[in-house]
Amino acid sequence: MYGMLIDVTKCTGCEQCVAACVAANGLSPEAADRDRAVTPDGLSANRFLTLQPLGDSGRFARRSCMHCLEPSCVSACLVGSLEKTPSGAVVYDGDKCIGCRYCMLACPFHVPRYEWDTTTPKVKKCHLCHERLGTDGQPACVEACPNQALAFGDREQLLAKARGLLRDHPDRYIQKIWGESEWGGTSLLSVSDVDLTPAGWSVQKASAIPDITGPLIEKTPWIGLTVGASLLGLSWIIRRRNEMMALKAAEVPSAKGGEDGEVDHD
Amino acid sequence: MTDRTRALKDLLWLLVFFGAIGILFRLWYGLGPTTNLSDPLPWGLWKIANMVAGVALATGGFTVGFLVYVLKLERFRPLVKPAILIAFLGYGSSCFALLLDIGLPHRIWHPIFMWNHHSFLFEVAWCVMLYFTVTAIELSPTLLERFKMEKAAHFLHRIAFGVVVVGISLSSLHHSSLGALFLVTPSRLHPLWYSPRLPIFFIISAMGAGLMVVVLAKMLYAKLYDPESVFGKPIRPSQGAVCAIGSEPREEGRDMPMLRAMAVIAACVLGVHLALRIADLIATRALGSLAAGTWESWFYAGELLLLGIVPVTLLAVPAARRSPAGLAIAASAAAAGLLWNRLNVGIFGYFQDAGAVYLPSLVEWAVGLGIFAAAGLAFLYVSETCSVFDDAWRERLSASAATVPSFDKLSGVWYRALSSGLHRITLLAVAALPLAWVFLGPQAAGTGRENPVSPPVALDAQRKVLWIDGDADRIGVTFAHASHKERQGRERSCGNCHHLTVPRDHSTPCYRCHASMEGVTRIFDHSKHFHAVARAEKLRGAIPANHSCAVCHKEGEAESAANAKRCMECHAKDMSPRHGPPETLQLRDACGYRGAMHRTCIRCHEKEAKAQSKPKLSTCTHCHGSFQPQSPAPAPEETLIAGTNSEAKPSLG
Repeated sequence: MYGMLIDVTKCTGCEQCVAACVAANGLSPEAADRDRAVTPDGLSANRFLTLQPLGDSGRFARRSCMHCLEPSCVSACLVGSLEKTPSGAVVYDGDKCIGCRYCMLACPFHVPRYEWDTTTPKVKKCHLCHERLGTDGQPACVEACPNQALAFGDREQLLAKARGLLRDHPDRYIQKIWGESEWGGTSLLSVSDVDLTPAGWSVQKASAIPDITGPLIEKTPWIGLTVGASLLGLSWIIRRRNEMMALKAAEVPSAKGGEDGEVDHD
Repeated sequence: MTDRTRALKDLLWLLVFFGAIGILFRLWYGLGPTTNLSDPLPWGLWKIANMVAGVALATGGFTVGFLVYVLKLERFRPLVKPAILIAFLGYGSSCFALLLDIGLPHRIWHPIFMWNHHSFLFEVAWCVMLYFTVTAIELSPTLLERFKMEKAAHFLHRIAFGVVVVGISLSSLHHSSLGALFLVTPSRLHPLWYSPRLPIFFIISAMGAGLMVVVLAKMLYAKLYDPESVFGKPIRPSQGAVCAIGSEPREEGRDMPMLRAMAVIAACVLGVHLALRIADLIATRALGSLAAGTWESWFYAGELLLLGIVPVTLLAVPAARRSPAGLAIAASAAAAGLLWNRLNVGIFGYFQDAGAVYLPSLVEWAVGLGIFAAAGLAFLYVSETCSVFDDAWRERLSASAATVPSFDKLSGVWYRALSSGLHRITLLAVAALPLAWVFLGPQAAGTGRENPVSPPVALDAQRKVLWIDGDADRIGVTFAHASHKERQGRERSCGNCHHLTVPRDHSTPCYRCHASMEGVTRIFDHSKHFHAVARAEKLRGAIPANHSCAVCHKEGEAESAANAKRCMECHAKDMSPRHGPPETLQLRDACGYRGAMHRTCIRCHEKEAKAQSKPKLSTCTHCHGSFQPQSPAPAPEETLIAGTNSEAKPSLG
């Protein structure tokens, strides 16, 4: 599975990566340019990738789809228009999407963007240039980086490389690989000498979101069947009781009082 | 028909009318210009109020079915049909709102064929589809009766029990799944509302409040068409009043005991919900956030008050329980509390994390309210003309033409609205709002998606000279674009000004290069210089630095860059002789960090790159971004390039 290693200490913020991304995806450079200024975090349907200044440190964090190993968006999409491919890319199939925007809500990194200004809007985000990956190609941003701040390759190898960097330069880097385990791990890994918390890593949970919802949703058919079966059973018992009481007394007892309500909340 | 009924219908029709206009706008312009939805807050009024809350308010359909068909509480039988009608309209209106909310409405059928069984939304979609069908089947006997198709109605009556059981199973699934939708946002939803037990809270609160909505609907029907059934007949005081409404003593309405019993059941459910919520608050250690006094904690408290405390307290007090007014207040509070809860979970709870606020736009309000109003009108229509609450419709139908309740047409509304002066003015005012919106255009509605800086205007065809007036105050400057480009280094110089990481790059300000040396520039730190000069020259006085001006600037002239010493007069020793900049380097060449670096260093770097055949020497990255250790600090003897670079980096952002 492919991954990307971002060395924040090497990034100068020139955004050649963004320009390459805009060109590779056939987006409008003017719109991409404008959206950097007018959107809160620089991401939009015209910019799948942005470099976010990290305070006054002079460093820049890459903000784009992190290509989670267990993506929340993929589990959320009701028609399965998002997919985690074997190459590692989380890709979007615009032909299936109905536009419910649940993926946008589900993403812990606030990444998917929407084409708000069209009447047939689609979700837009980085797709790791997955159509170029097969033939030894690299994502456009990786190719464009003039300072080799982005490294592309097998995720495990990149992880080993990142650990090597941290080991060899303990004074240069914070001893942490962002994306190693957060939200179940991401395909995009970052090493940095500045804390990346403000750049979308504010909450770091080791468990993936589908691990929260998955066990629950597996149970739902059984819950439905159990409810149905217990309703039938309950109704049979009550009907039988009513019959017995009707036999016993000539009159059917009518009022059963308010405490019957207690039965229906379990 | 009473005036009250007529007024209510007029209001609903107006809301439907404006909703229809809003729908046209939404379909014509798309979601962006007509709604205030945004990337940080992608779910808004239609999805949360109309869909999530609308479905929850219609829960009565399955809870009343449970009480009557499963628990065999026959006393609630008269409420089955109203509850089914509410469920059908609630689900129908929800689906309609969802149709408008999703970006590609023509693909609403996709979930039927394209499955992702890992998604709670998929489950919700299927259960809502199936349950909507179930409510349609449950409702159809009522409609078939109306059109005298007794046979089909009889068949449907026979399968009613099975349909009800299927409906309850489906409901128990999707009402909890609606809560589970928000489980995917553990980092985004406010901790007061996020809980692993959201699905349980959603179904219990919906069951309680759904029963209250049925009570409320029955009371509304009684108020409009059949007051005696709930509010009772006026009686003389001497006979002793069971309940008092207004000043006039009345005997208790014949349906009051039934409504009271149902409301008590609902209150018990809501009480359980309230207890669970408080227990959960303690378990998730979010109790602190409730006491924090933020607006979220007030919203949360208000929600618990309406959804739990008010109805439970009112139903616990015998006097309130026996009065129709008390019952109505309790039921309304529960319904409002449920709506409030869903808005909190679905909209308000996300504000803090998104760092943004969402308020529905005019179109969203119009459509959202319009859909609710349309459901209300349909409710009135069906309960007037079919045997939903009672069989009075038969009498209404067979009564003389003078008293036949004709269902109001839109033309009638206009006619009445235009016939009175007050109505006319109100109508004009209400109509003026969307019209003003139309003429001022979507951008006037404040979508905030435009570039706030006006772009430069070319004064000639080749864009040699631009007119720059970024703030559009008509005070601008002409900017010699072509000669700037020429001097900066032709094509490769674009990035000097059009640098993508410079925020609002459309208006890279002039002062970024043409900075006063008094201000902060990167190559020349004026304040640092005058302290350093004072130290180097061993100046004396209370503030030695004040005497340092004369060291660089000519005395007797206004101090400016023009009459300052050339950099090299002092800094020649900082340069290695071989790589040093030309002797002619002057301050005006070094206007700001970028100018200093790009215009003085690059030329030499390029020359040396060729001379020493080291091509890397002239690449951007030779200076930009190569890692510089923070300590030890570079000694003053080090080259200017290295020293300035490490210093300069922090401010590039």
